[in-house]
Amino acid sequence: MKSLFRILVLSALIFTITACKQNNDSFFGHQTEYADNGENIKTDGTTETLAMVAPPFVPEPTGDRRAKKLIVNLETIEQIGELADGTEYNFWTFNGTVPGSFIRARVGDEIVLNLKNNENSNFPHNIDLHAVNGPGGGAEATFVAPGKEASFTFKALNPGLYVYHCATAPVGMHIANGMYGLILIEPEGGLPKVDKEFYIMQGDFYTKGKYGEKGLQDFDIDKAIDENPDYVVFNGNTGSLLGENELKVKTGETVRLFFGNGGPNLTSSIHLIGEIFDNVYVEGGTSINHNVQTSSIPAGGAAILEFKADVPGDYVLVDHAIFRAFHKGALGKIKVIGEDNPAVFKENEPIKTAS
Amino acid sequence: MSRLKQLLKIKKLKQFFPNMKPLVIITVLLFTLTSCYNRYNNVSVTEPVKSSVHELVHIPSSKEMKKIEGGSYLGFIGKDSGRIVTVDSFLIDDSPVTVSEYLEFLKKNPQWTKSHINRLYADNDYLHNWEGDFEIPKNVDPNSPVTNISWFAARAYARSVGKRLPTIDEWEYVGLADEQTKDASSKPEFTEFILNSYQNKKTYENPIKADKPNYYGVYDMYGMVWEWTSDFNSVMITGESRNDSATNETLFCSGAAVTTSDLKNYAAFIRFAMRGSLKADYTVNNLGFRCAKDI
Amino acid sequence: MKKAFLLLTAIFTMLSCKHEEKPKEVDLSNSIFQLDSTWEDQNGQKIKLAELNGKILVIAMIYTECKTACPMLTNEMRNIERSIGNYDPAQVRLVLVSIDPKTDTPEKMKAYLKLNNFEGEQWLFLRSDDESTREFANVLSVKYKKISPMDFSHSNIITVFSKYGELAYQKAGLSNDIKDVAEEVKEQIKKS
Repeated sequence: MKSLFRILVLSALIFTITACKQNNDSFFGHQTEYADNGENIKTDGTTETLAMVAPPFVPEPTGDRRAKKLIVNLETIEQIGELADGTEYNFWTFNGTVPGSFIRARVGDEIVLNLKNNENSNFPHNIDLHAVNGPGGGAEATFVAPGKEASFTFKALNPGLYVYHCATAPVGMHIANGMYGLILIEPEGGLPKVDKEFYIMQGDFYTKGKYGEKGLQDFDIDKAIDENPDYVVFNGNTGSLLGENELKVKTGETVRLFFGNGGPNLTSSIHLIGEIFDNVYVEGGTSINHNVQTSSIPAGGAAILEFKADVPGDYVLVDHAIFRAFHKGALGKIKVIGEDNPAVFKENEPIKTAS
Repeated sequence: MSRLKQLLKIKKLKQFFPNMKPLVIITVLLFTLTSCYNRYNNVSVTEPVKSSVHELVHIPSSKEMKKIEGGSYLGFIGKDSGRIVTVDSFLIDDSPVTVSEYLEFLKKNPQWTKSHINRLYADNDYLHNWEGDFEIPKNVDPNSPVTNISWFAARAYARSVGKRLPTIDEWEYVGLADEQTKDASSKPEFTEFILNSYQNKKTYENPIKADKPNYYGVYDMYGMVWEWTSDFNSVMITGESRNDSATNETLFCSGAAVTTSDLKNYAAFIRFAMRGSLKADYTVNNLGFRCAKDI
Repeated sequence: MKKAFLLLTAIFTMLSCKHEEKPKEVDLSNSIFQLDSTWEDQNGQKIKLAELNGKILVIAMIYTECKTACPMLTNEMRNIERSIGNYDPAQVRLVLVSIDPKTDTPEKMKAYLKLNNFEGEQWLFLRSDDESTREFANVLSVKYKKISPMDFSHSNIITVFSKYGELAYQKAGLSNDIKDVAEEVKEQIKKS
């Protein structure tokens, strides 16, 4: 009897421990209460500096690590870069890329955001992260003149995929020149594991010259106000996901796209030709839609798009407002390599007509 | 053996000091009091280096000044977007203060040199690329505008040549002019010209007066450096620009007045944002100044 | 047991306080007492900032005609003074500095202090000329602008200076949470 009692007590203990662990696991549901979960999560006392990675790649998943203090270092850099083949543009960037480096943290993390404005910048900058609960999303605290730096700390209360961008006046110009990026706050336990993850941000660019005109192009403020862009591109360049830059995936792999829209003006109708999105984390939040062909990503918004690469071949990522894809550059490629999968897709023999 | 010795020692002490306990307590107390006493009373104060603007040695200046006839214009920042700004006639330098002109100032006023400047008056990047207190960097044109100087330093220079810094209103008034007219603010190509001039990098390395002057004969208002003004800290732009058009009322009192009157005037937006991001002790690579004078 | 314990404490105290505290070097090149400006107080007396040397300062920049945020700022100054607790009024100065020196004459300044029951030598209201006021504001990183004949737009900042005139702490905005400011002042008093 005694041993049976002991076994019962032990099993009860085990049950309680495992149940508590799974408490905040569900990114997908049961979160009807307001997200003050993040506020109550204690950090484990360790500090880590986030290793920055250039797009289209992202830092390692947070997995099931505990919440900690995370140091994120960003530098605003104004530099000339390639917008299209033979066309250059004066980009304003976070960390030298458009979009800026992907920030990855988990709910409950204490994030220290250090913003430095490169001394060779002409203009002051700052940052507003949509993941921040606080004034201006950090914009007031990080207003920096060229050569100066500022810092603020915020606690990640809500899981989700959020946009960050410069909010210095005139804000339209700062965003139009490429000052945006994404910050992912993973839920407790991390997002479900996938084989490949990529980071893509769409942006509309307004130049004095027409699409394809060579040389250094200036920002055209009238076209920006009229919402009439010359370029609509992924990751700041018509060729960022083409040629040797196309995303490579193997058949059978699950793929996750962290897709954001920096705007400044246009909404994206994102579609992967030849594929269906198995999961779409709608608006980067907690609701998941399934079996989606085209997702609508507003300016200043984001979504997580997941699919499984079933059949080898070239898959074209487009903004399905189709003239943008073929005449303004909103086009990228995902190459799936591997064994054919005739059960899912097979070209048929031409039908012989009786002669 | 040692233990015995210790015990014997204590026993001996006991003989001399029968009341051990209170003695121990008193000694402990005395030690705590005396050794930890001098925490802040041992402060040695280093003599502050005197660098007051009032003790300036005056120097002559050969810089040409242009007369600007007083007038009114629609200000960029104003209550109900209709603030009329009026400026009295004044004189303004025809170009930014150069590196060589600033060197002359330093020679007569060494308290403003890199190694002697008061930390209250400039941050650590003051003249950061100068080789020494009186050494212009080799790759810098002596006729290029002096930069990496703080507002306090610019003010001191202005005083030393018997002048002052222009106000924002005065600077913006002169900035309205293009080559042909006093007020080109309604010409979209002028706004475009200004915006484009802001894009070029390291324009502070260029010599002054290389481009054409404006209507008044004043050079380099655009395309060279941002310029200090006497009241740059009257710009309430917080950096939270979405908020600035309906100002943050806890950060700024009476903030409702600080709206922008012409949203399309992006060039002015940029200038005012730059002013709003500055503090008086800041030294920035592309921030210089020119002087003004009352008539 | 007891004796051993006492002996141990004695040894510990001796060890911990043994190394002599190196005299702390205070670099005064950051001190606001170097500013050469001349100020006028509520009694019409002319003073230089250097005369406040040795006193801990809590400073807010306001103007008497202000109807919006200044009353709140003044209230925060009042709460800070109350929260400091017992202190020697000769050691601390709570200073209001006018950003409208033309309007804020000594009479107006005195009346303002009286209206707010700011009595005692620790309360000070100062004004100077426009130039010196602008310079002083810049040292505190306070922004202000005249927006109409009677009104100023200005940032709401309370600053604490050590008795050597070094900037010790700043609070921006009107949150009425003056706890940290009061704590800083108490710290400064302790150090004296």
